Amino acid sequence: MSEALAYQVGTQPRREVDPVTTEIVRNCLIAATEEMKTILMRTAYNMIIYEALDFTVGLFDAEGNTLSIGIGLPMFIRGMSETVKAKIRHYGLARMKPGDILLTNDAYITGSHLNHMTFSVPIFHDGIVVGFSCCMAHWPDVGGTLHGLTTDIYAEGLQMPIVKAYREGQPNEDVFDIIRMNVRLPDRAMGDLRAQIAAVRAGERRFLEMIEKYGRDQVVGSLAAIMDQSEAIARERVREIPDGVYEAESFMDDDGVSIGKRIPIRVRVEVRGERMTVDLSDVAAQVAGFYNSGYTAGLSCCQVAFKCLTSPLDLPINDGQFRAIDVILPPGKVVSAVRPSAMRMWMLFPMTVIDTIFKALAPAIQNKVIAGHHADLVVTRVSGRRPEDNSLFLFSGLIGGGWGAKHDSDGRCATVAINDGDTHNSPAEQIEAKFPLLVERYALRQDSGGAGEHRGGLGTEQIVQARSQIRFHAQIDRVKCRPWGLFGGVAGFGNAVAIHRFGEKEQQFNNGKAFNIVLEAGDAYIKRSGGGGGFGSPLDRDAAVVADDVIQGYVSKDAAEKNYGVAFLPGTTNVDPSATAARRAEMRAKGLPVDDPVPDEQAAKPHGHVHHHHEQEVMSDEERLVIAMSGRCCS
Amino acid sequence: MSVAETSPKDRLRLSADIGGTFTDIAGFDEATGELRLGKTLTTPSRLADGIQTGVEKAGAHFNEASLLLHGTTVAINTILERKGARCALLITQGFRDIYEIGRINRPEAYNLFFQKHEPLIERALRFEIRERMDAHGRVLIKLDEEQVKQAVAAAKAAGVQAIAVLFLHSYKNPQHEKRAKQLIEQDHPELYVTASHELSQEYREFERTSTVAANAYVGPRVKTYLEDLRARIGERGFGGSFLIVQSNGGLFDVEEAKRSCIRMLESGPAAGVIGAKALCDSIGLRNAIAFDMGGTTAKAGVIHQGHVLMTGGSLIGGYATGLPVQIPMIDIQEVGTGGGSIARAGPAGALRVGPESAGAEPGPVCYGLGGIEPTVTDANLVLGRLGADRFLGGEMKLDLEGARVALEQKIAKPLGLDLTQAADGIIRVVTTRMSHVVRWVTTERGLDAADFALIAYGGAGPLHAVSVAREIGIAKVLIPRAPGHFSAVGMLVADLRRDFVTTWFKPLASADFKELLQLYGEMERNGTDSVRQSKIALQGIVLTRYADMRYVGQEHAVTVELPLSLFETADREGIKRRFDEVHAQRYGFSSPDEKAEIVSLRSAVSGIMPKPPFERIEQGDAKPSPQAAVGERPVYFKEALDYVRTPIFLRSALRAGDVIAGPALIEEHASTTVIHPGDRLEVDAFGNLGIEIRRS
Repeated sequence: MSEALAYQVGTQPRREVDPVTTEIVRNCLIAATEEMKTILMRTAYNMIIYEALDFTVGLFDAEGNTLSIGIGLPMFIRGMSETVKAKIRHYGLARMKPGDILLTNDAYITGSHLNHMTFSVPIFHDGIVVGFSCCMAHWPDVGGTLHGLTTDIYAEGLQMPIVKAYREGQPNEDVFDIIRMNVRLPDRAMGDLRAQIAAVRAGERRFLEMIEKYGRDQVVGSLAAIMDQSEAIARERVREIPDGVYEAESFMDDDGVSIGKRIPIRVRVEVRGERMTVDLSDVAAQVAGFYNSGYTAGLSCCQVAFKCLTSPLDLPINDGQFRAIDVILPPGKVVSAVRPSAMRMWMLFPMTVIDTIFKALAPAIQNKVIAGHHADLVVTRVSGRRPEDNSLFLFSGLIGGGWGAKHDSDGRCATVAINDGDTHNSPAEQIEAKFPLLVERYALRQDSGGAGEHRGGLGTEQIVQARSQIRFHAQIDRVKCRPWGLFGGVAGFGNAVAIHRFGEKEQQFNNGKAFNIVLEAGDAYIKRSGGGGGFGSPLDRDAAVVADDVIQGYVSKDAAEKNYGVAFLPGTTNVDPSATAARRAEMRAKGLPVDDPVPDEQAAKPHGHVHHHHEQEVMSDEERLVIAMSGRCCS
Repeated sequence: MSVAETSPKDRLRLSADIGGTFTDIAGFDEATGELRLGKTLTTPSRLADGIQTGVEKAGAHFNEASLLLHGTTVAINTILERKGARCALLITQGFRDIYEIGRINRPEAYNLFFQKHEPLIERALRFEIRERMDAHGRVLIKLDEEQVKQAVAAAKAAGVQAIAVLFLHSYKNPQHEKRAKQLIEQDHPELYVTASHELSQEYREFERTSTVAANAYVGPRVKTYLEDLRARIGERGFGGSFLIVQSNGGLFDVEEAKRSCIRMLESGPAAGVIGAKALCDSIGLRNAIAFDMGGTTAKAGVIHQGHVLMTGGSLIGGYATGLPVQIPMIDIQEVGTGGGSIARAGPAGALRVGPESAGAEPGPVCYGLGGIEPTVTDANLVLGRLGADRFLGGEMKLDLEGARVALEQKIAKPLGLDLTQAADGIIRVVTTRMSHVVRWVTTERGLDAADFALIAYGGAGPLHAVSVAREIGIAKVLIPRAPGHFSAVGMLVADLRRDFVTTWFKPLASADFKELLQLYGEMERNGTDSVRQSKIALQGIVLTRYADMRYVGQEHAVTVELPLSLFETADREGIKRRFDEVHAQRYGFSSPDEKAEIVSLRSAVSGIMPKPPFERIEQGDAKPSPQAAVGERPVYFKEALDYVRTPIFLRSALRAGDVIAGPALIEEHASTTVIHPGDRLEVDAFGNLGIEIRRS
């Protein structure tokens, strides 16, 4: 019986452990996961791991419950625990041996895409499995198509079932050969693999040290106590939420296949005493395009929202925190998709699910929630060959966007969406040194933050010029369905993507999806992230603060007048108090400003502005470049 | 100048470490090797007065001094308190928001009320300038000089005192930044102007922007401070050289300090590590961890194989919302546990200590200044490690009963512990947290903390050092002389130093050695000129070369020291082997078959200052003199599970060669060293306490 071998945290009669040892063990867990994280980051081969921190490391009990995760990717809060549990189901603890390292990237287990290669080491102490040390990291390429939209998992690359990458300390070369043959950049992949192995081994080492030092019973008892403490904090916070049923709805633009067909996200939250139930039964069914995610991701949505509202800074992140939340989620929804649905952009829709949970709870806990945010990583994928040596390169850059305003403060500008956490963007100086690209501009979008008593944060715009031929893909959403405001606050700008061919007009992609676009040297792609929603009526915003927003350029004078009802003394940025009061009264009477976060499904006309046209044949490359840039950003 | 030739008039080397609360003075008599110390309250409005009082307390006079070495928190406090100059930023077109956008990360991933870094320069004063270089340093768009002038005029009209300049890829080609700076200085000599390439020649535009903006922000204030201080100590008779301690632990001339103020942000903590290194050198120790514990934090730096370990930058104000400064500095990690850290009973029976600190006011409960939250210091008092009537040499009476009541009511009762368990528990928790940071600085580099000695200083360092060492298997602890003045002492033994970095992306296999040597040569020439400028008689100049390297495809590079001999023979394979070794040590694996590439070249130029040896203390024998034994009191030790009668010794009465078996307490004016049962203390010839930790 495999269960007999497991040292079970959840079911073991709780020994009395002293609070001092518990606190020491808690600190040891945090330090161990930090160490795993650092080892992975410093040795990884790809930018998605070391800059975007698209990984999660952690320690788990012998049943796969989370003890502590060091997380680059907040949305992966469930991904690894569920993967460990699947591995336990697959092999049983009895078929695990010291020195084994288990691997899978099964999208329907991790709930995410195939890029998430997940390694786990069963930690043995005296012949008994006492826990698991795990590491998920995003590999930049796992095969599959480079171009266009996928509509099933088979187009998305190598699927690795649960296998042993190491058997009793020996590498399983068959598995490595399969990987090498199926990925485009095998050296990078093997480099990342080595980094992940180093990370899980460090976790194993620290876990065992802890047991050696404090004794197995004390450690296991402390782990149970830590989870109980986390649970108690979370329960206390839930109790503070008034009982009731809270519902909200929002929409995704489309799935990339049925263009313009809105996808509803409906959530129902019930609070009763110390328990919260999130019901996602009315979230849209899984879709044809690659925006699906698995059941694990659906659970993550609810737990991320729950943690944000109950114990945002409580460490370590562990499953005790989530004992007070139940989730209802039938299979086949867009966040509980089943094989063979396409999953490559798994991370996108769950972000809106989380925001919608906040929206539902807003009437109950006005002081804890946040207005809608841009809810997209605004990732684009660029591939091409470097002119100097014809080597293939892949680059997926992400940009920060606007966050929603809160009851007491403006939303934050230019910050990564909720799927990611400690994710860094790439410096332009690094992008330009590594790839034949030139970043022409990376700037805040004026007026993109939703108007409100507290303004939404601003989104950003990034213009990147191809210096040799590239292929470009964007799979962005929430272009049309914009980040909503709360309590009279207005929606922010939506996300957007466009290209600008040399000497032509800017071409917008109405639903944010652009596949397989070939750009020539001098052409540029443009990404724009949305702003956050506002909180409270913009007519209640201090006019002096609006005037400063105008001086700083966050808000245009026009928008200050139109959305905030502020009147300026002619030719200045000085507020005219009496005219402002009059204008605001008039706007209030008319019910202005009107908020319209979800326009109807009719596509807006593309708009663009005319750029300079020049004789091409007489220009040098340098001249071409200067003119190309001047047309876009230095006028 | 050798020691023997020193004239009595300028035989004194003085250092002044001005912190928020105390000004520490150390004086070193080059003729006798005698160390003199003075401690006085910092006088914020009249800092020179504070220095003078401290100098007098140390029994010294300015007119005897040939050198004044100075470390100060003025630069970092200017940033943390947001009291700097109004300034403007000139930046490449399309990038004025990069300072505000930053790296877009959200370290507090689940906190909806997260904060971002706050730029030091408001958006309206960030001006975009038409110009552009590419990553090779080639000019794509020429600098629009007219636009520079217009922007500066607008900034002047807005009342700025300082201007920062950042252009993209200036690390590769600083021509545009130089020209812009020249234009501004020509028209506006009254402005403080600083360009990013002067501070950092590394890529990453946000970090460089933040660095140059911070320099502009602190520049006018720090410049005035330094000029004012020099004038005032001059009036008081000081005629020697005035040098400033940088975050890299080296000294630089005050003229340079005025231009690169940002280099002195962490001068106090850096000087402590330099002091620890000098201590290592004096007794032939190669590996040590410098452990500094004060009222609110504990800090750790590393000396490995005789070298202080450095880092390429840090975040001022913490990870989540800090402003990056990208300059080479001593790598010092910090944890929020100090003597004033507050203990709390949390939900469901949790015991938490720190990071909140009671500070100096109200301070721990036992200070009797109104503090009501039990702290680490209160726990130490209850356990007998501190004596109620012996704190600060008896100048300050501690309230033992108050500490007991607070611990009993706020910790012991809610957690179901007895008073001793509660106090001991607090100490064990902070010990674990500090041991993690101490271990972190070594394991992060693949080093084993057990191979290091722990050099402990700061007011609370000697109280906790032995516990921390035992926790991580360190066998030897050293408590230097004057642990409460250690940063000031460290300054006395610092060298002149300049660090340079040049970003240079090149595959190692095809790196052109001629170009490589040219780049190192240029940095070394600049550094040599710079250290010579100070007109200090040097014993020599030492050049050290490093390269930041990685395997092709990796991002994070490791810094590899490259012996000069590798360059003489253009030993490409030798460089690769060095890199493989360092990678293997640091991360547990290397890939000798994988190609490596260079990211940046680093150069350190040290002007070695003459350093006469420290005074030796009186030779004794194994048995401390009767004057040293001043009594005993019960002290709780976890090992004994009880209070143990523990003899107390007066440090000032200990002699070289004295041996004391634990348990014991060694008391001195500003700190107490705790020796646990089974451990063994021996006093060395310089008066350092060397403690051997019994293997448990």
